Amino acid sequence: MFRYIHSKLRFWQLANHNGADANHSGNSQSNLFDDLNKNLTALKGVFGNSYDVNMRGFNFGDQGVTRGAIVFLSGMTDTAIINENIIKPLMYDIRLSSKQETSPMNNMSIIQATLLTVGMVQKASTINEVVDGCLSGKTILLMDGSKDALVIGTEGWETRGVDEPKTESVVRGPREGFTENLLTNTTLLRRKIKNPNLTLETMKIGEQTKTTICVAYLKDLVPPQLIKEIQRRLQRIKTDAILESGYIEQFIEDAPFSIFSTVANSEKPDLVAAKILEGRAAIFVDGTPFVLTVPMVFMESFQSAEDYYSRPYFASVVRLLRTLAFFISITSPAIYVALTTFHQELIPTSLLFTMAASEEGVPFPAMAEALIMGTTFEILREAGVRLPRPIGQAVSIVGALVIGEAAVGAGIIGEPMVIVIALTAICSFVVPPQTDSGSILRLILVVLAGAMGGFGIALGLMGAFIHLASLRSFGTPYLSPFAPLSTQDLKDSFIRVPIWAMFARPRTIGWHDPQRQEFRLKPSHPSEEDKS
Amino acid sequence: MRLERGIISSSQLTFLVAGYVQGSVMVVAITNIITKQYTWLVVLSGLAASIPLAMVYIALARKFPGKDLIQINRIVYGPYLGKLVSALYIWFFCSIAGFMLTYVGEIIKYYMMPETPKYAICILFACICAWTVRNGIEVLARTSVIFVMIIIFVILITFFLLLKDMQLTNFLPFFDLSLKDFIQGTHVMLTLPFSEIVVFLMVMPYVNKGVEAKKSVILGLIIGGVSILIDTVRNTAVLGVTSTIMVSPSIESVRLIDLAEIITRLEMLVITLLLIAMFIKVSVMYYGSVLGIARLFNLRSYRPLVLPIGSIIVSLSILSFTYLAQNVGFATGTGPFFTLTFEFSPVITLLIAKIRKLPK
Amino acid sequence: MKNRMGFILEIIICFMLILPISGCWSRHELNSLSFVVGVGLDKAEKPGEIQLTTQVVKPGELKSASAKNKSSGSGGNGTNAYWNIKRTGYVASKIIRDFSHESSHRLYFPHNQVLIIERKLAEEGIQKYIDTFIRDNETRFNVLIVVSEDRANEVLDVSPELEKLPAINIAKLVETQNVTSESPTVRLIDFIRRLMNKTTAPIAPLIRVTSDGNEKTVEVFGTAVFKHDKLVGELNKRETRGLLWVINKVKGGMIDVAVPSGDGTVSLEIMRAKSKMTPVIQDDTILIKLDIKAEGIINSQSGSEDITSPVHVASLEKELSAEIRKEIIAALKTAKDLNSDIFGFGESIYWKYPSEWKKLKMKWDEVFPDIEVALNIDTTLRSTGNISAPAVPAKE
Repeated sequence: MFRYIHSKLRFWQLANHNGADANHSGNSQSNLFDDLNKNLTALKGVFGNSYDVNMRGFNFGDQGVTRGAIVFLSGMTDTAIINENIIKPLMYDIRLSSKQETSPMNNMSIIQATLLTVGMVQKASTINEVVDGCLSGKTILLMDGSKDALVIGTEGWETRGVDEPKTESVVRGPREGFTENLLTNTTLLRRKIKNPNLTLETMKIGEQTKTTICVAYLKDLVPPQLIKEIQRRLQRIKTDAILESGYIEQFIEDAPFSIFSTVANSEKPDLVAAKILEGRAAIFVDGTPFVLTVPMVFMESFQSAEDYYSRPYFASVVRLLRTLAFFISITSPAIYVALTTFHQELIPTSLLFTMAASEEGVPFPAMAEALIMGTTFEILREAGVRLPRPIGQAVSIVGALVIGEAAVGAGIIGEPMVIVIALTAICSFVVPPQTDSGSILRLILVVLAGAMGGFGIALGLMGAFIHLASLRSFGTPYLSPFAPLSTQDLKDSFIRVPIWAMFARPRTIGWHDPQRQEFRLKPSHPSEEDKS
Repeated sequence: MRLERGIISSSQLTFLVAGYVQGSVMVVAITNIITKQYTWLVVLSGLAASIPLAMVYIALARKFPGKDLIQINRIVYGPYLGKLVSALYIWFFCSIAGFMLTYVGEIIKYYMMPETPKYAICILFACICAWTVRNGIEVLARTSVIFVMIIIFVILITFFLLLKDMQLTNFLPFFDLSLKDFIQGTHVMLTLPFSEIVVFLMVMPYVNKGVEAKKSVILGLIIGGVSILIDTVRNTAVLGVTSTIMVSPSIESVRLIDLAEIITRLEMLVITLLLIAMFIKVSVMYYGSVLGIARLFNLRSYRPLVLPIGSIIVSLSILSFTYLAQNVGFATGTGPFFTLTFEFSPVITLLIAKIRKLPK
Repeated sequence: MKNRMGFILEIIICFMLILPISGCWSRHELNSLSFVVGVGLDKAEKPGEIQLTTQVVKPGELKSASAKNKSSGSGGNGTNAYWNIKRTGYVASKIIRDFSHESSHRLYFPHNQVLIIERKLAEEGIQKYIDTFIRDNETRFNVLIVVSEDRANEVLDVSPELEKLPAINIAKLVETQNVTSESPTVRLIDFIRRLMNKTTAPIAPLIRVTSDGNEKTVEVFGTAVFKHDKLVGELNKRETRGLLWVINKVKGGMIDVAVPSGDGTVSLEIMRAKSKMTPVIQDDTILIKLDIKAEGIINSQSGSEDITSPVHVASLEKELSAEIRKEIIAALKTAKDLNSDIFGFGESIYWKYPSEWKKLKMKWDEVFPDIEVALNIDTTLRSTGNISAPAVPAKE
């Protein structure tokens, strides 16, 4: 018992211990030494015996008097730059010799200013900065007799090429997707928005991983309190590791206990660019191709980039279809359970007899069937994702068909239930951002339907609705443009009006600068244009 | 001192009022016994008679901007009498919420789940309302926007699907209604659906741009009134004289929809309509009473009161009536007088305020 | 807020406890219900008692059941997709509950298609028997009411040719009558509406079982006329059509007229009909003006004369109007003999003259036989079919 209390006390101690050491890695702010060897020893102490730490000493200057060293992590650096642009000028240039009267400490500035033919060179004076720079793929130049070190940008490592995003493929539209490199990602964004107002602010989050986060927004467009709020939430995060944007999402979201996500993510640069142009902000995280955009409204899950690249009629039909599919995927198992268990009077007569015939020998009540089949489907889906690709597709198809058929033939499940679950499964993939929230909602509704029939479904849906209505995402109500009603924004909700009619930015997000295009842009015959 | 931090816009107020009035869309069928086939006429006259009352409420709210009913009572009637009047109002709100809740419970119990005890349905329904009230007026307004659209959609769809079963001869003869029945019908219609918007006097302080509230409230009232009218017209046209004996003509008339053997058995639509509309009504009444008590006792926030008031309302709903016909009897008999006193007193309040030249 | 999680947990547990308490009582699995598709009410031997027959579906047999089972004996339920349960008792609702003594499943009424009442029972008044079907929530108002000449349980036992369930057969039979318009289609709500009216008499289609050798079929053959809730008489097919002309329910039908020049008969098919009833009260005499408009086409002719010239068509139209007039007058005569206002004259007077109506409705039984009817029938023949002259050699 004492051990239990003791462990609880220690837990509370740790939890309340504010301002724990931010830096676990050795000396916090100790400066570099004058002596090269001391520096190298200190660095060796920090890095330990990692095999990819290279410390190359060399002599340069007049008759090779000055001793220097470069420290870099092979694999993270582009050795061509190191060889051609750092070592070569230093070793071959003898200009240093003519400035012998200056004190040794200035030499670093001279080297930085005249000798290094690399784009990014910065001075560093603490061990921490040196270590950070090394770990980011930069090369450190140390010189005997100088308290400063030069941090030279020589990043170059293996990355995945810009490729079509695997989770968001389109029929029409650009097929570029973000990669794991922050610089590439922001470059892809810059290529879409060639506007000097596109501000990219970086910060490093994560004690052990020191991941670079970049917040991108259009300075004149985004409401300033949004940026302040984002920065405030990002700066609050004090954690060990940020491995993926999902970590950031879970730290900054508005309603952590809600099943609906209030932060959107995407892998496509054109989508993120469009969102930034509407007045949102994007958060890039180094190491992941998924970029977060805030604020998010519910209708965004039903919009895809393709909608805007195709013509309005088909795009509207597809939008309506998506909404319908989402609704079906949430409610159909619940409706089936409710109808067959509580409200048999609501099924048309001939359909009812068919259903009754197929359910005749089935041992389980409808709700149990729904839960069993739902669980089986989720297991199949998860297995299909984890299996290696050649086997995965075959197994999921075989699994679904065979298990379904066999279950029906054995009399465990009724046929209508298999159809319902298959329909639900297909529909749940139509709206990708809401797949996970949809499956939880579906489960809750099935349980409610099994307990209370139609009344339960009504209560569940009303409850979900009220919850949606009470969510806000960084200040924007989650159900805009429906509530608060903004007829302007309804142009882009269930239907998509032609692009020449959408001349205002969404009111709740980009009201700062409402007009995004000229009026009267409808394509028309030249003679008509003269009249207007 | 603001009890509620949310603000709603005037368009949201329109939808809120419309949804609130539509809450009684199935309850107005109780006048069928009195007015037989002239219920639509009585709906119109009730609507017309309630507009002046609504203007009185708005004038009162405008006279005391930013103050809700309890505060107005205190200013106009003085501290002691004002507290008494406010307490009576809160009792009124609670009991009307209870009556509506019991109506919902009865209908759902009888039509959907006969073996379930009424209190289970009432409690669960009240839980949803409690959650909404707890989240504040903004959430209520936002949900009512969408719910009102659903309600209008359902009413129109059922109307069009029943066109082939309608017989216009069910409305004949015109104007064979005795004056006494007409006045009684109008009285019920005035007090029951339309003038219960007196509870919005509690909501007015939280409306953005309160001066434009007049248009919103009247528009909402008219939207709600037209919905009730369409529903009543449909019921009378389809069911004719049999609607006088039916407990819930809306459900029975929708049960007759039978097109091509596929579009059939649609009463779930009407029950959804009932649930949604009553939800708005009960929530607003609930909210009014919770705010009222918080204001009366000078509390800082109304949130801790939500659950206790909820249990009071549920108890009221279970205890008031044992079966639906009692509810109907009350609503056509003494009910209108009971509600009329509360709905008419703001007129007196306004007069007194004008006489005493308040606020100074 | 440390105990906030605990609080929320408590609430969730409370909810999870409430959920099973509430609706699970109303839960009926599909295989615990037996769906009633037809109900029959017969007179039982003991005075005051009725025999209730309900036809229950066996869904599993529906797919495999043959439509007609010739080899099974009487009442053989070998592979029938239905099961008729019969019980006797005084009150319909108690009998329905008593079925649980015989049936392992609970009877479920919302899918009931048809309510058959035996003629002998209808003559005693059916209000007290059908009240449960009106009041109970499960039985719906668009169930069809039918009066049968024979016993209802026999009618429900006749295996139909085209359907698998006799009750559905009867329901569809009654609804298909608009092809000939010789029998009305009466839903429970229509029946009640007429029942609730002081003067209008309820009607219902009449069916009987006819046997052709060994095969039995159900046949619709007229209308049952009630007075209040007692059956007082019947209309044959022709008179029924007369009635339907007046109440605006004719949707089709075939009328044979003789060709004026004597060359055979012509069958005219009615495509559309519309009627308007206008009451006129003048010094204590009541006159009902009936305006009937009918549209038809020539369906067949038995002679060889070309009857499609405008002169001929005009005379055919006159003949048609005369036939319609005869049918309506026949219906009127029978209705006056039975002294029941099946046409709704009383209602139309109420619509137009509400104040006079108040005096009239007290003595309606005396007033009704004296009502005069002015018929104005207007027929149009719109088409002569695919051919104009008949397929005979052309006359030289």
